[in-house]
Amino acid sequence: MSLEKRIRNFLKGPKKGETFELKSGLVSQYKGERKDAIQRVIQAMTVGKDVSALFPDVLKNIATYDLEQKKLVYLYLMNYAKTHPELCILAVNTFVQDTEDPNPLIRALAIRTMGCIRVSKMVDYMEIPLLRTLKDDNPYVRKTAAICVAKLFDLNPEMCVEFGFLDLLKALLKDPNPMVIANSLNALYEIKDMNKDPNLDVLPITQDLIKNLLTCLNECTEWGRISILTTLTDYHTSNVEEVNHIIERVIPQLQHVNPSVVLSSIKTIIHHLDVIPSQAQRSTILKKLSSPLVSLVSSSIPEAQYVGLKNIRIILEKYPQILSKELRVFFIRYSDPLYLKLEKLEIMIRLCNEHNSSLLLSELKEYAMEFEPALVLKSIRSIGSVGINLISCVVKSINLLGDLIDQRGGDLIINEAVIVLTNILRRYPGKNDLITLVIPIISNHIQELEKSEALSGYIWLLGEYPKYFSGLKEKLSSLLEGFLEYESSLQLNILTTIVKVNLKVPGQAYSGLLQKVLELTTKECENADVRDKAYLYWRLLSSSSDDSQQKVILSKLPPIKSTVSSFNPNVLEILIQELSTMSSVFHKPAFTFIESPKATEKKRAGSSARNIEDLKNLAKQEIINNVKNENLLDFDDDDDDNDQNGESQGGSSNLLDELNDLFNTPTVPGGQSSQGSGSSSANDILSLFNAPNPTSVNGVSQGVGSMNLNSQPKNNTNSDILDLF
Amino acid sequence: MGQVFSFTNIFGKLWGIDKEIRILILGLDGAGKTTILYRLQMGEVVTTKPTIGFNVETLKYKNLTLNIWDLGGQTSIRPYWRCYYSNTAAVIFVVDSTDKDRIDIASKELHTMLKEEELLDSALLVFANKQDQPGAMTAAAVSQALNLTDLKDRSWSIVASSAIKGEGLTEGLDWLMDVIKDEQL
Repeated sequence: MSLEKRIRNFLKGPKKGETFELKSGLVSQYKGERKDAIQRVIQAMTVGKDVSALFPDVLKNIATYDLEQKKLVYLYLMNYAKTHPELCILAVNTFVQDTEDPNPLIRALAIRTMGCIRVSKMVDYMEIPLLRTLKDDNPYVRKTAAICVAKLFDLNPEMCVEFGFLDLLKALLKDPNPMVIANSLNALYEIKDMNKDPNLDVLPITQDLIKNLLTCLNECTEWGRISILTTLTDYHTSNVEEVNHIIERVIPQLQHVNPSVVLSSIKTIIHHLDVIPSQAQRSTILKKLSSPLVSLVSSSIPEAQYVGLKNIRIILEKYPQILSKELRVFFIRYSDPLYLKLEKLEIMIRLCNEHNSSLLLSELKEYAMEFEPALVLKSIRSIGSVGINLISCVVKSINLLGDLIDQRGGDLIINEAVIVLTNILRRYPGKNDLITLVIPIISNHIQELEKSEALSGYIWLLGEYPKYFSGLKEKLSSLLEGFLEYESSLQLNILTTIVKVNLKVPGQAYSGLLQKVLELTTKECENADVRDKAYLYWRLLSSSSDDSQQKVILSKLPPIKSTVSSFNPNVLEILIQELSTMSSVFHKPAFTFIESPKATEKKRAGSSARNIEDLKNLAKQEIINNVKNENLLDFDDDDDDNDQNGESQGGSSNLLDELNDLFNTPTVPGGQSSQGSGSSSANDILSLFNAPNPTSVNGVSQGVGSMNLNSQPKNNTNSDILDLF
Repeated sequence: MGQVFSFTNIFGKLWGIDKEIRILILGLDGAGKTTILYRLQMGEVVTTKPTIGFNVETLKYKNLTLNIWDLGGQTSIRPYWRCYYSNTAAVIFVVDSTDKDRIDIASKELHTMLKEEELLDSALLVFANKQDQPGAMTAAAVSQALNLTDLKDRSWSIVASSAIKGEGLTEGLDWLMDVIKDEQL
């Protein structure tokens, strides 16, 4: 018999191939060979070869007393369970036995692996081992089992609740071991996010729980601390004593090495701070926050610093005084990556005050001499912001900008500096000394102005302060020469400026130019908005009294307040609550970029026919988001602004142009875009509404009313106008 | 990885020291397979739950290292028995002698299994289990019901047993060892 068998085996001939070799190794009659084969299978798996075909044979080796081999097989199982879901039940018996093993490592390993096998057939068999491990004597096993509950919930929420796993998990929050508490807390948070049943209270935060968490805060790992601190932030109380206790316990965490723990602690403290009634005590606590905040920036990893800076910006918005003495920390280092430099500049402008302004200005001058264009531009803008924010520094910053233009020059710097200088004049309108300082700087470099923002700034100045410019007529007529090639926003600006100059300068010196520009705009210009505006001016000039002309055309805009962006108060509140999360880096509330599970569910439920519809919506959403992204910094429009304002904040230049046209904003240099990151843009728009200037509504009615009476046959365009209405 | 050719390995292989002999215990659910396995291994009766998957134990018996696999007998698991057939020296088929209703199913399962190519050389031992229960069929009756006499070209035997009382188990295993020794040497 045995001879016959051998002959048969011989005749079959040896099979070849790596898989076969591994397979025969896995079912070998020798222990050593089996283990070796398993090791080779895992090796193949880790380099990315598909060894899923060996699943049943590897599975046979799961029952072993060799811990190393068991770990390897478990590893394999986790990786390939999805490829053979039906075969997974063959491992159940071993899992169940292993959760009774005297070795806690094996107990934990078994329940962890069981949870990681995300196969629905497995769920039915999880009840007993999970119950057992949740009540295990060993904390290591309990903490592993806690996470497993969350995994089970993901696969089968009903079963998880029905069998009382959720309640067991809640009970683990009172565990004597801090690790178990932290993991249970984490698992409950996961479940809370997945939960779709509104009646299910997953994580009730009670006073007792908070007390318990505070006691174990110090003994946890950093991950555990973060989840505990998050829970503390979710807890609301108005009890001063309790808040004091919480803050007292959290303050030591500010010294932690991990920046995330530090940020979470800061968040917790800020969250509870408002409950404390005494102003003095509040500011003492705030003072304690400054050095941890500084520590965030001293990290050696630039990415971590960046996250720190982004968070600091939010905190500064709420508590501007908190870092007032720490300006130097934010000075740019030569080796910093660009994104870090730019973000540091943002912080520096916000820290600027009377005491450190000269230091800051000299530092900014250094940056403006750097070679990265983005940094240079932002530094120039920052110099402007300093001048705009602090009246004591205006002259200094203007001089500094003048120096920069003289010393370094170049189109880039000149254009940017002109924009900034115009903004400074918008902040302090009608100040003779400033005007005489700024205008010569600008008029020396008119030839180099290329950016439309800079040009429109210059054009606005021409209209606003005509008597400070020499050769005004030549300047204006040179602008008219290439009139039709300019973009419409510039055309609008030129039109307005000429109309203004005409009114301001007595006599008929500029009437020829006026005639020319009105004809150009009404007859040759293709842009309807420019044409409309020209008609309105024309009608106003031809039919209204001088008085109303002055009133409408020459009314002053309210001065801008600042060019430093700030958040909408509601957004700020949300961002403060979401410190040290992704939203604090994006500066966007989480709900704007994370879909709630309910919404996702709806999407899944949609039939395939609706998929195209979904795709369309997605694409639309994407476009909207992109537009929003561009103007991340400008998340500052007030709520009472209407939708159109929101759109204008959207940053797309088209929208801006349209808006300019829409509201007929002749006197704003460069429109809103002159302050891409200017917080005041919202104010500007508001001011447009309030300004007594607009020729739009009033102008129209007046124009129409008086036209019938006077009907001056200046030329035949009158009939055109009538047609228009 | 390189330890395939390590000294102990070659040495062990040469003398057949570490060689394990694979034996499968099969049968319908509730026949007493797990009880038999642990009775053989530990010599005591353990309380068992339906086996979802398998148990495997190694035991030394008469200088042989036996690797005994006890596979779950539930309908859902039976299709996967075939995963375990390769390199199997013997099959122990356990029948619940009191379960007259399902003896036909047991017979069908047995014969399908024996047709598998990988099991052509395996010896077959049938335990007519649960003899301690009233109304149990005798070994001869079970043998007839399973059509064991139809089996050609295979060493087989049937033994009346009671896993609870420990009767018949060693007897059956002794017979199996004799057959296997013949095969192996």
